[in-house]
Amino acid sequence: MLKIENLHATVADREVLKGLTLDIKPGEVHAIMGPNGSGKSTLSYVLAGRDGYDITEGSINFMGQDIGEMEPEERAALGLFLAFQYPVEIPGVTTTTFLKTALNAVRKARGEKELDPASFLKLQKQKLTELGMDADMLKRGVNVGFSGGEKKRNEVLQLAMLQPKLAILDETDSGLDIDALKVVADGVNALRAPDRSFLIITHYQRLLDYIKPDVVHVLAKGKIQKTGGPELALELEQKGYADFYDEAA
Amino acid sequence: MAQAAVHSFKTETLQREEAMPWLAPAAVLGGDNAPAWIAALRETGAASFAATGLPTPAWEGWQYTNLRPLTPEAFTFDAAGDVAAQDLPAPLLKDSHRIVLVNGRLRPDLGTPLPDGVKLTPLMEISEPEEELATVGSLAQSPLLALNCAYMRDGFVLDIAPHRDIARPIEILFMSAGNSPAVYPRVLYRFGENSGATLLERHAGEGMALTNLYAGIVLKAAARGRYYRFIDENGDAVHVSRTVARSHKSSDFQGFSSVSGVAAGRQEFGLELLDSGISSSIGGVYMLKGRQSHDFTILADHFEKDGTSVQHFKGVIDDQARAVFQGKIHVHRPAQKTDGYQSHHALLLSDQAEASAKPELEIYADDVKCSHGATAGMLDTDALFYLQSRGIPAAEAKALLVHSFLSETLEKITRDDVRALYAARIAAWLNAPVEEAAA
Repeated sequence: MLKIENLHATVADREVLKGLTLDIKPGEVHAIMGPNGSGKSTLSYVLAGRDGYDITEGSINFMGQDIGEMEPEERAALGLFLAFQYPVEIPGVTTTTFLKTALNAVRKARGEKELDPASFLKLQKQKLTELGMDADMLKRGVNVGFSGGEKKRNEVLQLAMLQPKLAILDETDSGLDIDALKVVADGVNALRAPDRSFLIITHYQRLLDYIKPDVVHVLAKGKIQKTGGPELALELEQKGYADFYDEAA
Repeated sequence: MAQAAVHSFKTETLQREEAMPWLAPAAVLGGDNAPAWIAALRETGAASFAATGLPTPAWEGWQYTNLRPLTPEAFTFDAAGDVAAQDLPAPLLKDSHRIVLVNGRLRPDLGTPLPDGVKLTPLMEISEPEEELATVGSLAQSPLLALNCAYMRDGFVLDIAPHRDIARPIEILFMSAGNSPAVYPRVLYRFGENSGATLLERHAGEGMALTNLYAGIVLKAAARGRYYRFIDENGDAVHVSRTVARSHKSSDFQGFSSVSGVAAGRQEFGLELLDSGISSSIGGVYMLKGRQSHDFTILADHFEKDGTSVQHFKGVIDDQARAVFQGKIHVHRPAQKTDGYQSHHALLLSDQAEASAKPELEIYADDVKCSHGATAGMLDTDALFYLQSRGIPAAEAKALLVHSFLSETLEKITRDDVRALYAARIAAWLNAPVEEAAA
């Protein structure tokens, strides 16, 4: 599904990713853990295709295609989804308008029929109920005046609506209290499927108590330093990232 | 000193020489048996304009808008406009009344009957004008108004009878047609005491045209005037206008304007709050691309206490287009408890787009609340990436952001159908590029 090989990437001419290799198969949940400044968020932006994040070497293959040069919307149409660490506020665009425009854009790009308003509203209501969310937020500007928890829930709502092949969760746990964390984790777990993969980027092990990963990687100094099973997350929780700083020194 | 005097003399001579071609076509008006007050205003206007010519960027208030590239030879005064009913754009709103002018001249054959309580009087049929029609203020400061006076002929007074609420909107359609017409209409909209009406003033037409409009609006005590302007002209048109809303005690004025289709334009609005307890607001959106330029220049003048004035403008500028906003709130000494609010926000879509803003407050009363805010910025790249990452193509994402930015100005418009008219203009601009505007 996602195959990253020897990825080097720069941000503002500074090399942040220095030869990262990763292989995620359909249905798998991978976690990438790492200290601050290890390149976690850079990886998520490079995968989503943000301007200013340049690939200098290596390749990203997603759903059988090299996506390195694709626009963000083309990657989304292929089925890539990034849940933002800091979801953006968009005043004046209601969440409903946003969801409908996004869903229909993606359906159109995939050669599917656009949803008529009634079918869209039905789907939206269903997802909202499943996630236990308040319909009020749909009428408000996207993320405007939302609490940290509401913003993250809105990300999960978008995830549920767009039904991507690969969802990257970038520090989705940051700033969430335990109840909000459970809601978000339940939402994600409900979406787990044999043909859908997840890449969970996190500093702490906490989220992984609720979303069980198949594979855990440690990212430091722009490279995967170690790969293991769920037990690696627990080990990191106890020992911290000191080992990887030492290696880096 | 002697040197300076010589220079000044030369400048004045030059201005006279430049002014004369603008005034020459007015000879057409000779012997049209205009009422004495009109003949007098023409003379005053011509003399005043001859002394100044068009404003230069050295003039106060004209630093950012230069009309000097305009040449009078490009336009025809008194151009024939062969327009039939089927050439007119469809009415803005269903069930509205309509007044039609072609190249500035009233065309009753193209309009609809007006309802009870509304009276239309052509300017040339007025022999004894009321003060508000014949008074124009200092022409020396306003060459365009002077020019409008010099050509005074076309226009009307529209009276809304006291204590009447006119339910259906009245569309006033100014059509330009034919061979690059130059038109100098003068209109007076007069809302009688405790009356209410909605006016839709729309400017449209094909090809080159110059419109230099003076619109007076009078709101008698407790009147409720809604004045919505649509500059729907094409990319070769030049539109300059001055609109002055004179508000009397406890009246309520709401004005709005949208512009997307001119080569060059300047709309001046004066809000005069003459008595106490008045609410007066003006807003607008502009959408410019190519080499278009447009200027909103606003003065809210508070003369008495307990008045509220609002100026709320937003615009989007692409390519090499230029926009100007000059807004002033003037609070005179007796105008205690004044609320004055002004904002202008511009969105620049290209590196070469230009926005100039000049907010001003001049306050002589000591118990007032006045605020102003002005910003100019690019599209939020974070928001753009967020939308794209959800699958929305870049062009569509930009349009969505621009639409939401501009639409915010429409929220205060009380009629849903009028708000929809403006929203449609924003949407049309975002989807279909206008033809490259003439330089």
